Amino acid sequence: MSQKVCIIGGATTPFDYGATGFESIEGGAAECVKETQQDVPEFSLRDLDLMIYSHFSVHFGHQLAPEWIIHDHLGLVGLPHYRVENGGNTGGSALYAAALAVMSGHHNVVGVVGWETMDSVSQSQGSEFIAMASDIRYELMVGGIYPIYYAAMANKWMKDNKVTEEDVALIAAKNKNNAMDNPKAQWYRNDHKYITVDDVMNSRLISYPIKKLDCCLMSRGVAFLLVCSEDYAKKVNPDHYVTIDGVGLSSCTIRAGDRLNNPGWNERYGPGYPEMTEFAACRNSAEQAYKMADIKDPPKDIDFGEIHDAFSTSEAQIYKALGLANENTIAKFIRDERTSMYGDIPMNPGGGLLGYGHPVGATGIMSTIECYYQLAGMIPKKHLSKKTEVPDPQCGIVNSHAGTGTSISNFILRRK
Amino acid sequence: MMKSFLVTKNKDKFADPPKFNERKDYRPADVKETGLSFVGHEISEDRTVINQFLHYDQLYTIRHGWNSRFFIGLLDGKIMGTRCPKCGDSWVPVRTHCWNLNCKLQKTEWVEMPLTAKVHTWTIAGWSGRSSLKRLPIILVYASIGTSKVAMANELHGINPWDVEFGMPLKIVFKPKEQRVGAVIDFHFEPVDFWKPSPMNEEKQRIKDLVTPVYEWVKTLK
Repeated sequence: MSQKVCIIGGATTPFDYGATGFESIEGGAAECVKETQQDVPEFSLRDLDLMIYSHFSVHFGHQLAPEWIIHDHLGLVGLPHYRVENGGNTGGSALYAAALAVMSGHHNVVGVVGWETMDSVSQSQGSEFIAMASDIRYELMVGGIYPIYYAAMANKWMKDNKVTEEDVALIAAKNKNNAMDNPKAQWYRNDHKYITVDDVMNSRLISYPIKKLDCCLMSRGVAFLLVCSEDYAKKVNPDHYVTIDGVGLSSCTIRAGDRLNNPGWNERYGPGYPEMTEFAACRNSAEQAYKMADIKDPPKDIDFGEIHDAFSTSEAQIYKALGLANENTIAKFIRDERTSMYGDIPMNPGGGLLGYGHPVGATGIMSTIECYYQLAGMIPKKHLSKKTEVPDPQCGIVNSHAGTGTSISNFILRRK
Repeated sequence: MMKSFLVTKNKDKFADPPKFNERKDYRPADVKETGLSFVGHEISEDRTVINQFLHYDQLYTIRHGWNSRFFIGLLDGKIMGTRCPKCGDSWVPVRTHCWNLNCKLQKTEWVEMPLTAKVHTWTIAGWSGRSSLKRLPIILVYASIGTSKVAMANELHGINPWDVEFGMPLKIVFKPKEQRVGAVIDFHFEPVDFWKPSPMNEEKQRIKDLVTPVYEWVKTLK
């Protein structure tokens, strides 16, 4: 008995780095649940019939099965629980699991808690930990961190698509500046300044063409999301629920270099794709979600999105993979600032990974929550102003992304 | 009686373990396997927050198993690839079974690759993981080795960072034999001998401007 999947609430802790945010993961989870209860007073923890935990790396947490600590702390003994891990797409994959659980009819009220504590080691050690999700036998010690792999992919993509450093700098400035309207965003809490394209261009080299301000933030943070059946949504939050109308999850090679002539992609999309430059798993999972949600013309049918801008360059690559532009139009699409708050399809009004932060297991959940707030009309309550509120949105996309594009999910959310 | 019978029976069922007769230990003297230990803490002025420092230092064994010939090849100064006898695709990094679903996970055969490659894409790293900071800036290229259908990441040495180009021909250069460890860091790429950089242009100048402070910063690292 397939049933409709809804989102009725959710909240994050402030995302931060170092000892300025919440001081324990279980305490953070509890505060996220409490904020959700304030928004949805009819919701009780007793209504949950499944908990899914979204956490990437026990290297950061120095604790195996840390979800057991949170679950126990929330007083949920007896309730089934398990953890989903899928690199940077851990949050998206946990949402996928929650959606399937409800869709199947076996569960009706599913809580998803995501978190990461990346400040338990130094930044450079943290980068190296994350890089252990690359193929350590062949990639770890040669240059070896994700920004470098992404830079190599983006460098060729930008040349092939005639996209410049200044173009992607526009994206970096957009998302960090959007975050200045969001009190939970790490950029708001720490750097706390509006930036320009020049600031991005003049920031230090990370890996050409990526500079420091083109990169997302390493973070500590927790997020909670409430996924449920439509019956339950109508019962506890009839005026502020959204539906998940499309879901898609896809995969690609662990090593970016293995995509050049891959028979699996040649079979689906013909030879020469995805090259080392395109996110085929994004295109493929978007196609699945679009089909399910009956999206025919993505830039027209979708009003806004919260997407995985680990780097400004990857946000640009994602626009193309989502079908918002093609190789002839992508540069103009970016230069026309169509994804800014005053554009026709704003992307990352919540600040994205570049501005809100990227505590890996919490990230996809955060993106979903921001998308939910927009569709449920809650931005004036959650952000500092209406500047980052999408006008009258009906349909949003959530995108979560892992590895070098190794696992990618997309979700179509609609206002009810 | 019963117990020894079972042990003998199990032993008959499984392959003999490899006999490891060459073992090298080149860990630095200060690396100690201490296991888990609390090594310190800090407390805020108002005594409301404590951070605890937990240290662990763990030796991992990467068992390369069927991929071993590639890594042993590195010690011998060779790049070993694999090739599917059915469809002919070949790879470095290696695959022990073919990726083509029509080949139904056909086991592949080992082939020695030529020590030549071609740049597919590249980047200049000005920041990296903790263990690589002092080697910055690093030119990382993805290059296809010999007939390989895939591109492999490794460092490009022997040129200025701003001179790297798409499609440039490379040779593979191994470290001196005594310095090799059986890992991909045993080799790097260099331009082939006949290769000459193209004249300075706007992008090259941009890269030069970006990497100049990196050279200065690295000098300040202890």
